[in-house]
Amino acid sequence: MGSFLSTRRDFLRRFGGTAALAAGWPAIAAAGQAAAAARADDADFVYLDAALARDLAAIAERILPADDLPGANDAGVIYFLDQALGSFAKDSHSALTDGVDELNAAIDAAGGIALRFSDLPADEQDRILGGIDTTPFFGQVRFLTLAGMFAMPAYGGNRDHQGWALLGFPHQHAWAPPFGYYDAQARAGAPDRDDDQGLDPHKAASHGENQ
Amino acid sequence: MSLAGSGPRFPTREPVDFVVVGSGSAGGVLARELATNGHDVVLLEQGPWRDPSEFVHDELDVLFHQSMTSGQPDRDPQTHRYTASEEAQVRGFPPPAFYARTVGGSSVHYSANYWRFRPVDFDERSRLGAIEGTGFADWPISYEELEPYYTRVDWEIGVSGAPGPADAPRSKPFPCPPMPVKSSGALLDKGARALGMTTQNAPVAILSQPHNGRSPCIHCGFCIGFGCEVGAKSSTLVGMIPEAVASGRCEVRTESMVVRLDTDARGRVSEVVYLDRDGNEQAQRARAVVLAANGAETPRLLLASASPRFPDGLANDSGLVGKYLMYNGHSASYGLFDEPLNEYKSIQCTRLSLDYYDADPKRGFYGGGGIDARPLLNSFPIFFALQGLPPDTPQWGAEYKRRLARYFTRNMAVLGNTTSLALESNNVTLDPKIKDIWGRPAIRATYNDHADDMSFKAFMRDRGEDILEAAGATEIWSDPVKPETIGAHLLGTCRMGNDPATSVVDRYHRSHQVPNLFICDGSSFVTSGRGQPTMTIQALAFRAADHLRAFASRNEI
Repeated sequence: MGSFLSTRRDFLRRFGGTAALAAGWPAIAAAGQAAAAARADDADFVYLDAALARDLAAIAERILPADDLPGANDAGVIYFLDQALGSFAKDSHSALTDGVDELNAAIDAAGGIALRFSDLPADEQDRILGGIDTTPFFGQVRFLTLAGMFAMPAYGGNRDHQGWALLGFPHQHAWAPPFGYYDAQARAGAPDRDDDQGLDPHKAASHGENQ
Repeated sequence: MSLAGSGPRFPTREPVDFVVVGSGSAGGVLARELATNGHDVVLLEQGPWRDPSEFVHDELDVLFHQSMTSGQPDRDPQTHRYTASEEAQVRGFPPPAFYARTVGGSSVHYSANYWRFRPVDFDERSRLGAIEGTGFADWPISYEELEPYYTRVDWEIGVSGAPGPADAPRSKPFPCPPMPVKSSGALLDKGARALGMTTQNAPVAILSQPHNGRSPCIHCGFCIGFGCEVGAKSSTLVGMIPEAVASGRCEVRTESMVVRLDTDARGRVSEVVYLDRDGNEQAQRARAVVLAANGAETPRLLLASASPRFPDGLANDSGLVGKYLMYNGHSASYGLFDEPLNEYKSIQCTRLSLDYYDADPKRGFYGGGGIDARPLLNSFPIFFALQGLPPDTPQWGAEYKRRLARYFTRNMAVLGNTTSLALESNNVTLDPKIKDIWGRPAIRATYNDHADDMSFKAFMRDRGEDILEAAGATEIWSDPVKPETIGAHLLGTCRMGNDPATSVVDRYHRSHQVPNLFICDGSSFVTSGRGQPTMTIQALAFRAADHLRAFASRNEI
């Protein structure tokens, strides 16, 4: 996988969010415990255990959060990760497990109470990720999240082509001109100009002549 | 209907007329020309035979898992270093010699920009004089000599286009009209014309209308890096190799990876040694051998064929096998526009400007090139999400996602395609430490752009930014100008010339040293051209085939 999936771990060294995290701890802890109580543990993952999947899904959702358009969880990115970590990204499985463990250990150390990343509110998650977003661990999760959002649905993510819909990339395999706004505008503006012959191949009578 | 497995079967222990190594842009043409003119040919290809119907728009598999291409670090690692004083490092994605392993070679996955060279590309050294410290030289052939073969490429390979204002003379029209202009092309026209530049249709080996029994492009948008599922891209997979097989004289032996050439007591190549799909060593005997394995694998094979008689590698009396590697240079500038361009549709380039084709001594540095407009890989969703946004913007989170949704359909690139000077210090050698899974020394590329190449890339980046601004882009950003490290164009490593001391093959592509060894691919180039080499690789292949046939008929192979 080359540069997109490095296996180096210098994650904890670069974890910069602990001080900020500790300051708002009581409210975070309360919210987190409520979230933990509400979650279901029966997700059907093949290669990921449920707790690891929950934390990875939470990171993916902060990379591509739902707003008026679908986010990572809407598109089932975690199911892509599950498949990936059992196949082409198998070599990254232990690095991601270790990375999540270290992330959670740092959260526990900062708050003095056992919580997982996925238990925290979104703004706190963002603050934590802001402190580690140049680490190889984050780079790996980001790559897998984007691949899960935008790869073919056959790989487990991009559910109902929601990732492609987000970009404005229709699931269609053949097109005809006009392709976009500017070529349509050019065709409308100068349909018969000699030097615009390429705009309409059927009018390109001189395509073969030496000029 | 698949052609895989059809055609004749030749015994390995009886010499065939020609073994052609590599079924790509050059090898496909050579096999077709030799076989359809009555010669028995074994075409050896290290990759499998993929039928066009097998090509899918699977970005993860094709671009990220490199399922069709070279250089996977855990399979056949390649190494790179900038200078000979460094330890070369394995580089995976993309590797320093990036090419497709499949019947049809890189003509299957190229973007099919088919610019002819101009007369100046062949005799620029005479026009400009020497450039100190470089191997800048004239070709032993001229544009006029190659022109009939460019025309054969146009018609027999299948090229769409229309002449531009300063194109070299052509003896016959394009067979197919130009492809319809995309929004990137319309914006290039707008910006360039506002700056007083001229633009023209981009010639491409992609069919705009039915031709030679093949159907035209459906504008699916998956040219660069992908195989064409309708066969509209004029690869040798669909254009040449089927005719070679249909002649009844060409056996395409796939998943056959050539490891060395063996010579006989007279110093002639006697057999081509390869590993079959089960990893067993086989050897095909031949009267003559044509290497068309690309500008990295061809010199690798010659260097790996060293023997007591040829201690520095086969055909390497000059010491130039592997030297003068040229990648072509690139600059890339990007623009954001208010309205959707939808560059994910149709081919890469529809319009270009060749106003900066000629080197201009007044600039203070050598260099020439062409400017085109295209999406690059930003038309592919994963690639775009990973690195398609401007570098100083958020790379995750709510704002990142909003920008993905806005920028994907509204961005384009202006690409500068530029010259690379021939330098002895840029070369392909065998890595002394790293081996592939078959035990072969890895390709080691040593490559660093000449200062003039860097200066001209910066010049072209500035032109690209000017064009985007004049076209009305609301935001403009550029890739940093850096030395090239991606070898998709592999040129110059067995250069042609009249003097055996300063070239590897003669003007007919025959090795100066080994009389029944011919070399014809990007390695034959003496200069790099302006960034689109395949048209010239194939014109050379058509021309070489004519000479090979003449030699064979006179019993001179």
